[in-house]
Amino acid sequence: MMIRKPAKLLLNLLSVAILSSGFAQFTFAGPIDTAHLIEADARSANLERVQVLLSQDAVAEQLQQLGVDESAVAERLQSMTAAELVALEWQLEEGIAGGSAIGVIGTVFLVLIILELVGVTDIFKAF
Amino acid sequence: MAQISQPWRRRLLSALLVVVLSGCAGSPVLQQALPESDGIAELTDTPFFPQREYQCGPAALATVLQASGVEATPADLVRTVYTPGRQGSLQVDLLATTRATGRVPYVLGGTLSDIAGELRAGRPVVVLQNLGVKLIPRWHYAVVVGLNLTDDTVVLRSGIDRRRVMPAKLFLKTWARGDYWAFTALRPGELPANVEYERYISAVAAVEQIGQTDAAILAWRAALGRWPDDIVARFGLGNALLSARKPAEAEQQYRVLLAARPGVAAARNNLAIALLKQGRYDEALLQVERALVDASDAEVNEITDSRRQIQAALGDSKQ
Repeated sequence: MMIRKPAKLLLNLLSVAILSSGFAQFTFAGPIDTAHLIEADARSANLERVQVLLSQDAVAEQLQQLGVDESAVAERLQSMTAAELVALEWQLEEGIAGGSAIGVIGTVFLVLIILELVGVTDIFKAF
Repeated sequence: MAQISQPWRRRLLSALLVVVLSGCAGSPVLQQALPESDGIAELTDTPFFPQREYQCGPAALATVLQASGVEATPADLVRTVYTPGRQGSLQVDLLATTRATGRVPYVLGGTLSDIAGELRAGRPVVVLQNLGVKLIPRWHYAVVVGLNLTDDTVVLRSGIDRRRVMPAKLFLKTWARGDYWAFTALRPGELPANVEYERYISAVAAVEQIGQTDAAILAWRAALGRWPDDIVARFGLGNALLSARKPAEAEQQYRVLLAARPGVAAARNNLAIALLKQGRYDEALLQVERALVDASDAEVNEITDSRRQIQAALGDSKQ
């Protein structure tokens, strides 16, 4: 396919902009980063990058919806590795968040008291 | 309570009795897990921050950070650790925030022996517990400061308890439901007590990746102290030095690596960049050409970019 030169330049600029939006880790010229030697094969690394870019937006949006300040979201994502970003998306789905409240009623409550008494749980200690 | 027929009531009672009895029985958990241990001193100096509602994450993190010499209070950490909509803190946020303070978060292997090792080194350990059950979880972060083998208990900074003493058996159950997740905050340069190669290398690579360059330099040096011939650690040290604008020192590291493993094209590419940054364009070009010969398909593009960059610099210098 023929693409006129200015259009091609624009496309290149655009793709670089998309790839590097808000994520300082991805540099294109210059030293090859350390992760390169850790990741077993480069193909999976590339796939991961695509996944990371998708995760990044999804996670940022979700965190904001969960009441995290916009500047704090950026700060959080900046301190994360690619793998952690993907893990975060998963953790948000799983709902593992230390400190979560419990919502319990009726029979379940009774079962919990029994579990507590026999030393399986420690759910009712005050915080 | 609804009427339950006589035989059923008896059966229910005996079933409960069995559960109660089995809850009490058993051999000491800690002595079994740590057979060669002759006691671990409790880290009594570990600070304590009584948590505000749902905010065990910031409280636990502030505890280990202060223990490692970072001045941070739970209030400082809420922004990046606590997620209001979840009334809790996510594991990744604890690790990322630790990293942002210049410490190296190291996720432990997940055994009592790993915790014991950290305590012996004077480092308290953050653990994720599920104080509820699988179906009705109650996730909680606490900080282990002691393992008492005599009375088989675990001592924690937890919630509003400065010194929560938990039977080891119960602790182990709640920790197992948290998938044995635990981490410690290392000062850059410190190695974990039961260091595992891959865990430590990826922990340091993460620190380097987010731009904590000074921390990364110290941590990579510690890795090389332990694994002197490791090419990832050597490469990482070179890269961290390059980021710290110390191209001459970086060059040295790449050369050591390449002397042992001449075919690592990524290292040769970065050596070329280190030479370029020192204005040694001819040498840089020589190295990048060689790197291109050794490059894998995945590396060719990046190395070609480097060559272009070097050629441009060379062209400019000759005008």
